[in-house]
Amino acid sequence: MRTPPRRTAAGIAAVAALALTLGACSSGGDNSPAANADATKTGQTLSVWTFGATGLEDSMEAWAKETGNKVEFKLGEFDPHHEQLLTALASGAVPDVAVVEVSYSSTFKQSADFFTDLTAFGADKLESDYLDWRWAQGVADDGRIFGLPTDVGGLAMAYRTDLFAAAGLPTDQAGVEGLWSSWEEFLDAGRDYKAATGKAFLDDTGVLFQTLYNQAPEKFYSADDKELIYDTNPAMRNAFDVAVSASDVSANLAAFSPEWNTAMAAGDYAVQLAPAWMLNYIQGQAPDTAGKWNVANLPEGGGNWGGSQLTIPKASDNAALAYDMISTVLSPENELAVFKATGNFPSVPALYDDPALTEYTSEFFSGAPIGTIYSKSAKALKPVYEGPKERQIQREFTNGIDRAETGAETPEQAWKSTMDAVEREVK
Amino acid sequence: MATTTLTAPAAQVLVRRRKKRSLVPYLYIAPFFVVFGVFGLFPLVYTAFISLWDWNPIGEKAFIGIENYTTLFADPRFWNAAKNTLVIWILSTVPQLVVAIVLAGVLNHALLRFKTAFRMAVLVPNITSVIAVGVIFTQLFGRDYGMINWIIEAFGGQGIDWQSGTLTSHVAVSTMVMWRWTGYNALIYLAAMQSIPASLYEAAAIDGANPVRRFFSITIPQLRPTIIFTVIISTIGGLQVFAEPLIFGGQGGVTGGSSRQFQTLALFLYEQGFRNFQFGYGSAVAWALFVIIAILTVINLKLSSRIASE
Repeated sequence: MRTPPRRTAAGIAAVAALALTLGACSSGGDNSPAANADATKTGQTLSVWTFGATGLEDSMEAWAKETGNKVEFKLGEFDPHHEQLLTALASGAVPDVAVVEVSYSSTFKQSADFFTDLTAFGADKLESDYLDWRWAQGVADDGRIFGLPTDVGGLAMAYRTDLFAAAGLPTDQAGVEGLWSSWEEFLDAGRDYKAATGKAFLDDTGVLFQTLYNQAPEKFYSADDKELIYDTNPAMRNAFDVAVSASDVSANLAAFSPEWNTAMAAGDYAVQLAPAWMLNYIQGQAPDTAGKWNVANLPEGGGNWGGSQLTIPKASDNAALAYDMISTVLSPENELAVFKATGNFPSVPALYDDPALTEYTSEFFSGAPIGTIYSKSAKALKPVYEGPKERQIQREFTNGIDRAETGAETPEQAWKSTMDAVEREVK
Repeated sequence: MATTTLTAPAAQVLVRRRKKRSLVPYLYIAPFFVVFGVFGLFPLVYTAFISLWDWNPIGEKAFIGIENYTTLFADPRFWNAAKNTLVIWILSTVPQLVVAIVLAGVLNHALLRFKTAFRMAVLVPNITSVIAVGVIFTQLFGRDYGMINWIIEAFGGQGIDWQSGTLTSHVAVSTMVMWRWTGYNALIYLAAMQSIPASLYEAAAIDGANPVRRFFSITIPQLRPTIIFTVIISTIGGLQVFAEPLIFGGQGGVTGGSSRQFQTLALFLYEQGFRNFQFGYGSAVAWALFVIIAILTVINLKLSSRIASE
């Protein structure tokens, strides 16, 4: 009668199914305003759920120390983090602060009433500090402010100076940027590099694809009527084709996988396309490569990839305290300090002309003027509309690119199968 | 006659006592039914309920009848996941049970020293965390830095991209499942072997049967009920494989690789329910999975008991 214990592998599925029902039955959340809690409490522990790309952990610890509170981090991987947040919101067992990345912000925006409206704490007065479109990513359609913007992911590239030198390529920023004026020329340089060294030039065509389409003014949704245009937008097709054509110079590593980390530290590829937050990632994953990198601008202009909002779920018991923390760590002064420590680039336009930022160079990246490079990139940014199914569409595209890269499908088949897959996701 | 002479209060006492007595057995079995009701039956029924809805856990919910099911049966991703699940199940279960019987035979051998130590050792993989197993095997099966490819290349072969191929990824996932469950099944077989009367073997030995003949003509037939048990349990577990392919796929684990080449039904369920936030559709997948397992278990039972009765 009793179930035999051979269930552990299956147990996760069972637990998942259970969570599904438990989560569903208490949906609705607690709608009472939490704004009357005291912001000067001490001895509290704030739980923070993050996927680890914002570089804000140290600032939060510092805030906690100063105010006599504690922070407890739960670090998840990118997608699982957002999935857990969703089930947590549905069940009410929420953290005090949750990071929501921009490709998910439109998804959660539709359920803004599960988050504390930060207007209650006067967040509306901070609006002018931040980039308009970064701010807008944390505002629901009814005007509710559910999150404050963290960094912006202005685009550039990091390259290995030692590997470039070994392949007979220039190593200084101007020389490297002079190698190419278009992505075609960039890939040609990659082929030269591969011919000279026998090693891969790029890490992953998926990363190239994300960089390419993030340079475009529109992605999957049109800017004006917010309709799906992933299949007709020429920028998407172009990004797909260019990325797929880079298969021969790519190491074909899945970004953010353990093998990718290993290859990054081992110097098995020479160029890492790098939104500002990637600098933080490189320094964390490949600390021994300090001084072997430099940073250059991309061909064909800048763009944005990533960035997050810090949100406070409505069911948090310590909303006022949590707001005190997030508004402190996201203040313009602190965003500047975070940039210097980690490379995460401020979403505060007033800083872009501040010499404290523009004159900042990074030792790790061979003294590259990353303050200038990324502020130039961020200033050129135009807001891009991101829709509710952003992340799902993105994933299907990346899968399609990978199918072409591994040779499972021809580029034409991969484009077609990607269109079919996305259609299934969005209908 | 006796009953008519009873006074009214006495009759009441008897009735009350009978009532009390009849309640007690139910109390004894209640814990199981309460736990089963809360963690088994209720989720089952509630999942069926949700599967009739377009259900966003933190958004809109709309009743759509059986639409989730009609979509599901027309969804090539579902059939792909079903096929992958079956292949991985066969690839892992058949070798697993064969190896387990042989292993049990060895452990049961009279000449084996340190019996207890070996018996405990075969169970170690089973008590290892599935996450740890997944992480380690994923590294072993790595394309660029994996030890298995390293060995293949050391012998002059060509490294294999385990993850991107359909069959190779199935083999890798099946290996993890096998590694965890072979020892467990071996111990069950061992227990059954020890209850086979020694007189059968002695009689066979006197008649001149060699050890191989004794194994196939005595051990295997005597193990039949146990084999049926392990096959059914392996079916239920094997069709719900989730953590191994999830970890093996890394970032792309939920879709089972970029071509969904090793996405199992449990992963498809997770993808629809928790990644795409379509709880209704995910619940429909859960029910389809439940029905598939039920059907296969019945087929297994029929098949195995026919073999056993022959």
